[in-house]
Amino acid sequence: MNNGLITIPLSGRIDSTNAAETEKKLFEQLEGSGASPIVLDASHLSYISSAGLRVLLRVKKTHPDLTIRDVSSEVFEILEMTGFTEMMQVEKAYKAVSIEGCEEIGRGANGTVYRVDRDNVVKVYNNADALEDIQHEREMAKLALILGIPTAISYDVVKVGESYGSVFELLNANSFSKILATEPDKFDWCVKEFADMLKRIHGTVVPEGKLPNVKDEARGWARFMRDWLPEETHAKLTSLIEAVPDSDHMIHGDYHPKNIMLQDGEVLVIDMDTLSVGDPIFELCSVFNAFLGFSEYDHNVVKEFQGFDHDVSERFYYAALSRYLGTTSETKLREVTDKARVLGYTHLIGWKIRHGALETENGRAEVAFWKEQLLGLLTTVDTLVFQPNELEIEADKENLPEVLSFIEEHVEPLGLSEKGKMQLDLAAEEIFVNIANYAYAPEHGMAKILVETDETMNEAVITFSDEGRPFDPTKKADPSVSLSADERTPGGLGIFLTKKLMDGFSYEYRDGKNILKLTKKA
Amino acid sequence: MELNFESNNTAAVIGITGRLDTVTAPELEDYINARIIGIETLTLDCAGLEYISSAGLRVLLRAQKKMAACGKMKLINVSPIIMEIFEITGFSEILTIE
Repeated sequence: MNNGLITIPLSGRIDSTNAAETEKKLFEQLEGSGASPIVLDASHLSYISSAGLRVLLRVKKTHPDLTIRDVSSEVFEILEMTGFTEMMQVEKAYKAVSIEGCEEIGRGANGTVYRVDRDNVVKVYNNADALEDIQHEREMAKLALILGIPTAISYDVVKVGESYGSVFELLNANSFSKILATEPDKFDWCVKEFADMLKRIHGTVVPEGKLPNVKDEARGWARFMRDWLPEETHAKLTSLIEAVPDSDHMIHGDYHPKNIMLQDGEVLVIDMDTLSVGDPIFELCSVFNAFLGFSEYDHNVVKEFQGFDHDVSERFYYAALSRYLGTTSETKLREVTDKARVLGYTHLIGWKIRHGALETENGRAEVAFWKEQLLGLLTTVDTLVFQPNELEIEADKENLPEVLSFIEEHVEPLGLSEKGKMQLDLAAEEIFVNIANYAYAPEHGMAKILVETDETMNEAVITFSDEGRPFDPTKKADPSVSLSADERTPGGLGIFLTKKLMDGFSYEYRDGKNILKLTKKA
Repeated sequence: MELNFESNNTAAVIGITGRLDTVTAPELEDYINARIIGIETLTLDCAGLEYISSAGLRVLLRAQKKMAACGKMKLINVSPIIMEIFEITGFSEILTIE
């Protein structure tokens, strides 16, 4: 007995063969204790059956303040499954793990990831009281996985020194940072996977209420800047953020090469604790910071953090953004980057100041540098919204004008001739109307239109996809164009024109989707 | 797309301005059908026609067939961009283009 608190050890197995006896012993020890708080020490408890659980319930009835401490993972699972973790305080036993001499393989906002052995990594949280954060990250990772984003989910919580860590199984995994630093020939591959995964995340719709709105966080960054910017400039910054429309699409929140892993040929995203929903510009700002913002004043910073040089970082950022936006247009890349920089610097300045930047000369110079950039941008940037190069729209003839103007806007950097524009319009119309008329009839469905332009190749590639019935228009027989008016039938002209007017016209059926690509050279 | 109509006894001219596409083609077809009764010579003035897709071509083909039964149809002021579409599809052979 200790300050009225009664601690009783449980050990071995508690099942139907010994539950009655265990109960008897327990209540003998509890005799005369009134309703004192009880702690059951489960460090030596290896198994508990339903007969044992009923004993716990009876103890709980007489002693409502019941804690079960140092519960092994196996027993915890039983308690969790049966809902006991909701009814009483259950504290898991945490194995102690040392990270001494372990390789650091990742680093996020809330912790650092180390490889502890060949198959396992541990993410050590910065704050000592991290159990809630760990639980939160686990929930986030589960949600992401269910929604189709490949990630690792922790299977155990351990104690690392004074901090907690969560353990993940990551076999033969390498971060993109390490690949970029050690295998320069994989640069292009990394760019492609990095950008495509980001698109996949941003293309993921999250059920309402599951994730926070990233705009609330951005509002926080802007609020901090109130004391550091002229009033008018600060008002503009705030209105720019407010004007970004809300979105139910997923944002990772800390998307950089240390958080992207390659495991046995599969690309995984880790560090899911910052998941939110919102407009992709709120992600691109942190991507900009990771590659360029952080190290813009001192180029060595990126080497220290990511392990690759600043020039690699710069090339990677622009190559990945180019793939993400589907354009090689420098004007367009600059335009989107400027929007990202507005939010990027806003976040960075606040973060740096809170981390004591103003106490050192270097820190003050860095903050002054970013602030100057931000002030400049706030005179030129009038919206943070950018047009993604993919449009998802109901396949309905009425939407044709919207589809055509979307395409026209995105092929603009190529400077197509009037004739080229009309030919592209014509082909796009034929394909979209075909989808609208036949893909889902008599039901309705969606079509996706992706526009990619390449200025070095001087061409635009428009990809149409739908989930309707499979149909390969490239195989459709050409109409005879030499018949008289009386003999001509009206069908088949559209596909025929598309073939004739485009420089490329291809079809594939993949993952339940009709995928049609039109290529037009400028 | 904008349409206008002028007629003189049995001759009529329909001016087509803008885009003749999936959305606007039915409009042109109804417009023609409502105005060709008693018309022997139908002229489509394409000076303002900027764009034509297969839906537009189909309307022209059906109008051509109708007019052939009671008179004739011709197109005037066809721009080179539109002419190329007529050529690729063989419409330059079946339509009367001046």
